[in-house]
Amino acid sequence: MIRVTYVAHDGAETVIEAEEGTSVMQAAVSNDVDGIVGECGGSMMCATCHCYVDEAWEAKTGQRSDDEDEMLEGAASEVTGRSRLSCQIKLDPSLDGLVVHLPEEQL
Amino acid sequence: MALAPLDGAITLDQLSSDPYPIYRRLRAESPVLRVASTGRTLLTKAALTKAVKDNPELFSSDDPQTPMKPAFRAHTLMRKDGREHFVERKAISKALTPTRIKTDWGPLYERLAEDYIARLPRGETVDLFTDLCGPLAARILAHILGIPEASDEQMMRWSQLLIDGAGNFGWKPEPFAASDAANDEMDALFAELEPIRRVEPDGSAYSLMLTADDPIPMSQIHANIKIAIGGGINEPRDALATILYGLLTNPDQLAEVRAQEAWDKAFEEGIRWVAPIQASSRLVTEDTELGGFDIPKGDTVMTIQASANRDEELFEDGESFFVFRDKNPHQAFGNGPHHCAGAHVARRTVGKIILPMLFDRFPNMSLPNPEEVVWKGFGFRGPINLPVVLN
Ligand code: HEM
Ligand code: HEM
Ligand code: FES
Repeated sequence: MIRVTYVAHDGAETVIEAEEGTSVMQAAVSNDVDGIVGECGGSMMCATCHCYVDEAWEAKTGQRSDDEDEMLEGAASEVTGRSRLSCQIKLDPSLDGLVVHLPEEQL
Repeated sequence: MALAPLDGAITLDQLSSDPYPIYRRLRAESPVLRVASTGRTLLTKAALTKAVKDNPELFSSDDPQTPMKPAFRAHTLMRKDGREHFVERKAISKALTPTRIKTDWGPLYERLAEDYIARLPRGETVDLFTDLCGPLAARILAHILGIPEASDEQMMRWSQLLIDGAGNFGWKPEPFAASDAANDEMDALFAELEPIRRVEPDGSAYSLMLTADDPIPMSQIHANIKIAIGGGINEPRDALATILYGLLTNPDQLAEVRAQEAWDKAFEEGIRWVAPIQASSRLVTEDTELGGFDIPKGDTVMTIQASANRDEELFEDGESFFVFRDKNPHQAFGNGPHHCAGAHVARRTVGKIILPMLFDRFPNMSLPNPEEVVWKGFGFRGPINLPVVLN
């Protein structure tokens, strides 16, 4: 199992454990983490799964793709260099302990 | 395994006049059911409808036999899959992002809403459905799409003719003749506006698609605008009418929504309670199974999001309009790659602008005879009248 910490906009932390191969979005939705909606089920169409990768984890989660970059334009909150669509981050053992921050709004 | 049971009793008339008691029974007894009158396999549980929409390889939107093709005179993005769909979808979705709405369009929408609301007479009974919901949705959409030269009447008429054509599963000639005439009118207007939207980019969908670095073909630009005309008027109109009905028949909730300014919650609850698009179809590409039954390749399954939105597994007392639910994971905007491209626009215009403005202008608005309101529709649903007294 891989541990992921979601830090809400107000600072509240939720720690969950997810199986390898699931996405950061799916892990949040199936554990009822508030602040990730994931309305399109991970097909990169809704940008309601926006998150900011914690600085310490940026190198490990990798770069966003061009398509992801374009879909991020559809995000409701500010997009920064650390913005990702969490449905595009797949969990593997190298991400055990991952920390992501959640935006103020997704809709 | 066996094929899903076949029902010969449920009629299209029953589904159009009051589908909810039927769906409630099907969720309990027969969530995968072949319904003869629809020619499709109906899926009524939330887990099934979501699973189907999230799996476009197995459950394709690409239906070569769709009456949508003649109705729109094009194969549109709604009926494409994969990369082809993604490219066309990206082209239009840039005009429909929350940032764009907040910065470029918000002030315009507010003005349009104010303008249309200001025309309503005080102290009289008016039909908000015909006098406000339809025309305002049409006007806002005309601006977003970059065709504000089209009149409200044209927008509403085109939309209805496209929808009638797209739903012409009986392949009768008249609806296609009518949609052809509408297509001629639209194509002529688009052609006339093309040079202007190219030379003076205005952030509208048309302008953005024309001036993109790597534009999609002109025929697809037209098709995309038509899809948005077909899908962007009736749904916000029906959503607005449904939410107004919900709030006006539940004065306690209305008071609380006002106190908390929870208009966005009221919006989500309205479209959960009566989803403007109640059902979508998907073509099965390989033999598979759903809910313990064989689903053969070539079958058409119908996801009933109207029913998913009241599924007892997700919602407590889903049959009732209740704004202050803890969670509201409804499927009114669909799921998967075809998730509504206009969701942000609809949420912001209806939820954040129109609703608060209406109740601000007409604080004592009332619906004296709710029993006079008529609800209709199987594929698309909402009230078809909304006689309120404004004061
Ligand atoms: C409350 C209002 C609305 C509701 C409930 C709604 C609902 C939906 C649903 C359920 C779908 C998916 C259909 C399917 O899966 O086959 C859809 C698709 C779509 N909607 Fe909406 N819609 C609304 C407003 C709008 C608006 C305002 C626009 C345009 C600005 C719009 C444009 C579209 C487009 C272009 C698609 C096709 C997306 C694709 O196939 O990739 N919708 N809508
Ligand atoms: C015949 C076509 C048009 C109609 C019927 C129309 C209708 C309207 C209406 C009713 C308003 C609200 C005005 C008010 O009460 O303040 C408005 C505002 C506006 N329209 Fe149009 N419009 C049309 C053409 C256009 C065009 C071609 C554009 C530019 C692409 C445009 C851009 C705007 C803008 C930016 C506003 C906001 C005005 C402001 O903030 O000062 N309109 N339009
Ligand atoms: S879940 Fe929709 S873009 Fe990630």
